Amino acid sequence: MKEYKVVVLGSGGVGKSALTVKFVSGTFMEKYDPTIEDFYRKEIEVDSAPSVLEILDTAGTEQFASMRDLYIKNGQGFVIVFSITSLQTFQDIKTMREQIIRVKGIEKIPMILVGNKADLDQQREVPSSEGSALAQFWGCPFLETSAKSTQNVNEVFIEIVREMNTSPMKEKGGCCQIL
Amino acid sequence: MQVVAHRGVLCVMEEEKSVVVGVCIRAATPDRLIQICVENFGPDELDEQSEEYCRVFFLMHQWFMKSEELAQAFIDFYQGCDETITCDLPDCQHLPINDDCPVQQYKVKICRAVRYWIQQNPVHFAMDSPLRKATDRLGQLLLAEGNTKLKQLVDLSQVPSYDWMRNMSVRNPSNHNRKVSLVFNHLEPEELADQLTYLEYKAFRRIHFSDYKNYAVTASLKENPKLERSIGLFNGLSQWVQCMILSKTTPQQRADVITKFSNVSKRLRVLQNFNTLMAIVGGLTHSALARLSKTNACLPSETQKTLMEFTELLSSNNNFSNYRKVYHQCVDFKIPILGVHLKDLISLHTALPDRVEGNLINFRKMAQLSLMLQELTRLQRVDNIPVDANMDLVNTLRLSLDLNYTEDEIYELSLAREPRGSVSSPTTPTKPVMFADWISGVSPPDPNTINKHVHDMVEAVFKNYDHDKDRFISHAEFEAIAGNFPFIDSFYVLDADKDGMISKDEMKTYFIRANCHALRNSFKHAFHETTYFKPTFCIHCTGLLWGIIKQGWKCKECSINAHKHCKDLVVMECRKGMAAKRTDSISNGSVSNDLTYSAKRKISQRHKQAQLLAQSSENKAGSNTGMQNNQNNQKDQVFQDDGPREGEFYEEQHLLYDRWLKSEEAREQLIAENSQLRARLEVANDQILILKSHIGVIRQNTIAFILEQMDALHMQRDSEV
Repeated sequence: MKEYKVVVLGSGGVGKSALTVKFVSGTFMEKYDPTIEDFYRKEIEVDSAPSVLEILDTAGTEQFASMRDLYIKNGQGFVIVFSITSLQTFQDIKTMREQIIRVKGIEKIPMILVGNKADLDQQREVPSSEGSALAQFWGCPFLETSAKSTQNVNEVFIEIVREMNTSPMKEKGGCCQIL
Repeated sequence: MQVVAHRGVLCVMEEEKSVVVGVCIRAATPDRLIQICVENFGPDELDEQSEEYCRVFFLMHQWFMKSEELAQAFIDFYQGCDETITCDLPDCQHLPINDDCPVQQYKVKICRAVRYWIQQNPVHFAMDSPLRKATDRLGQLLLAEGNTKLKQLVDLSQVPSYDWMRNMSVRNPSNHNRKVSLVFNHLEPEELADQLTYLEYKAFRRIHFSDYKNYAVTASLKENPKLERSIGLFNGLSQWVQCMILSKTTPQQRADVITKFSNVSKRLRVLQNFNTLMAIVGGLTHSALARLSKTNACLPSETQKTLMEFTELLSSNNNFSNYRKVYHQCVDFKIPILGVHLKDLISLHTALPDRVEGNLINFRKMAQLSLMLQELTRLQRVDNIPVDANMDLVNTLRLSLDLNYTEDEIYELSLAREPRGSVSSPTTPTKPVMFADWISGVSPPDPNTINKHVHDMVEAVFKNYDHDKDRFISHAEFEAIAGNFPFIDSFYVLDADKDGMISKDEMKTYFIRANCHALRNSFKHAFHETTYFKPTFCIHCTGLLWGIIKQGWKCKECSINAHKHCKDLVVMECRKGMAAKRTDSISNGSVSNDLTYSAKRKISQRHKQAQLLAQSSENKAGSNTGMQNNQNNQKDQVFQDDGPREGEFYEEQHLLYDRWLKSEEAREQLIAENSQLRARLEVANDQILILKSHIGVIRQNTIAFILEQMDALHMQRDSEV
């Protein structure tokens, strides 16, 4: 079974945790322990191929600048999240692709752009068209999700697996390793 | 799951199988939670299970109610006792002397609960004046009833002050004061690790329960200065590591600094200070350093191995499983990687609701959160830090870490040190990509903090380096200290009044200005193509900017000049506002410049004379001429090493001679250019003559043509008529 390392990036408060938690635990959330490693592993079937995702939720560590490079080094696919209710969070992630390329040292990186909190449409500050324009510029898929209503949550992770399948990255990313 | 309804309203749910050992309440109303707590305090000591419940309850109550409200609830229960508790004793007045009275027994339970709260969480009472007031109200109530015995239980006079937690300043440590070097190059890695651990722990232990809670709930650092300070320290340290390495010019020098920091990491691991370890390893493995292949080739294999090990230990793989395993095995003093535990808090808070079944407090969540928060708050209370603080060193380091560069600036510096090879990544653009700093949350330290840090640092530096206690730092002393600050200016910039010594005020002024303005600016310059009217030299390669027009590029902000091919390599900060002061330092063609120099020379001569007078009067032995010559020679060398720079004070002949040579050179170049220009002028004149004669011909032709046409028209008209 293929294993994929996915990193969820984005500013604070865009709902990265909510998205991750919804995906890994589905509707069953009675008991929960974020400190155990198995919690962030989930088996899914994509295009009739079973795969295991190991998800790294970066919520809470956004401000720790030097941890971000370590995350990016470890990850294979990237879910880049902003909130459709905050233009600022959309501005924040615009440089994210460059940063990943800088760390990885290669141009083609599996990623997906995600506009979260789609259920709060009346507070929308980022039009869908802007999201898809950025995604087009990056050459990656774009989805609007709602962790609350679980809209598109599974689809995000299915899409990122597809992206990783079409542009497989070398196991120990690029030329940027210290050794 | 058992559900207990009280007066027809659901008020408590019990666990079938508890998630946290000893806590068997799933959810309940706040009142019910308080009641359960009070019931636990019988005449005997708390048993293990009820103690666990009470510990979780008192630790976590701030998640769903204010401490003040909890204290008020205890008062309400106390006052309501007479009605809620039935006393079957005949003729009982429920007085303190009636030991058997259930009402009185219940009151004792309440007071013992409050006593337990004070003992277990004294910090709640020290930090919260409304809570203190409420507790005093309870005390007065007890006194009014003549219940002096119980009054003692709720006494707050023994609560320590926790002043260190309230204010942000650093408490003075033991008087133990070893003499250590404040200079980075001389500093032992172990010593550095110890002092960093001291700083880290100071920042870590100030983070209060409410800071954790606010961050978990809002995911923002707004109005969370203590957590922000701790994260600022973390990022500052990572940046300092990178800047210290990148400030070195050769790959070998850079590799040496990396090795030094790798030794610092080893000591941090021994101290179990994982947060600082993460900051340093994060800095060392940052993409701005990882790309330096020449530097990495110089690293000894042992350093490479150490870095590999630590990267593995701190890796985010499997939800930081390596780190978690090691961390849990560590006992006694340890500092966790704050980021990892903040992440856990946020995940847990996101996954579980605060309230369930309508309005019941989700006590299972509280129990789970308490597992993390209890550990964090316990570590904050450890008093025996395994390191001795050296306040002078701490103060110097603290200021060094206040640097506030952006990721891009550091990356650009890295590109300047070892430019991209054509082989490594042909697809990436050769021009540095501009990145906005997306971590907008952490603001730079505020001016007051910086002023304080500067003050402390300067005091420390003078205490240790002003050997003759004349309140001035000499040039040699300065060179040693400057090693701690990656991009400090030369001695001459700090020495504002040019008396050859740095006073305390000069140093403070410099650092405050540098921190508030310049250091925050970047290595980025606003270069634009410029035509120079006098010979100008490149700041990077010091060569002449050649050509007649558009010879080079000038920065709009700080007015430095550079060749087109040098401008991306300039490693010099853009100091805004220097534009007015910075004349083209190497070119000295203008009259005003000459004036300044002659003025400077005069001043310097005056200084020298004064110095000579002073020295000869002090030392009449006559041997001082030789000494002075020596001094002068030394100074000469220093001047040479430094090279020409803005604002420097050229008082030595040697240097003037150098300048003269340079201007001679420039003059020769100019003469050559001039003759070239003359030749061109002559050619141009010839061309003008030719063109003029052409114009004459053309004009003649044109006039002839017009006349012909007119004749033709005349003839036409005549024939028509």
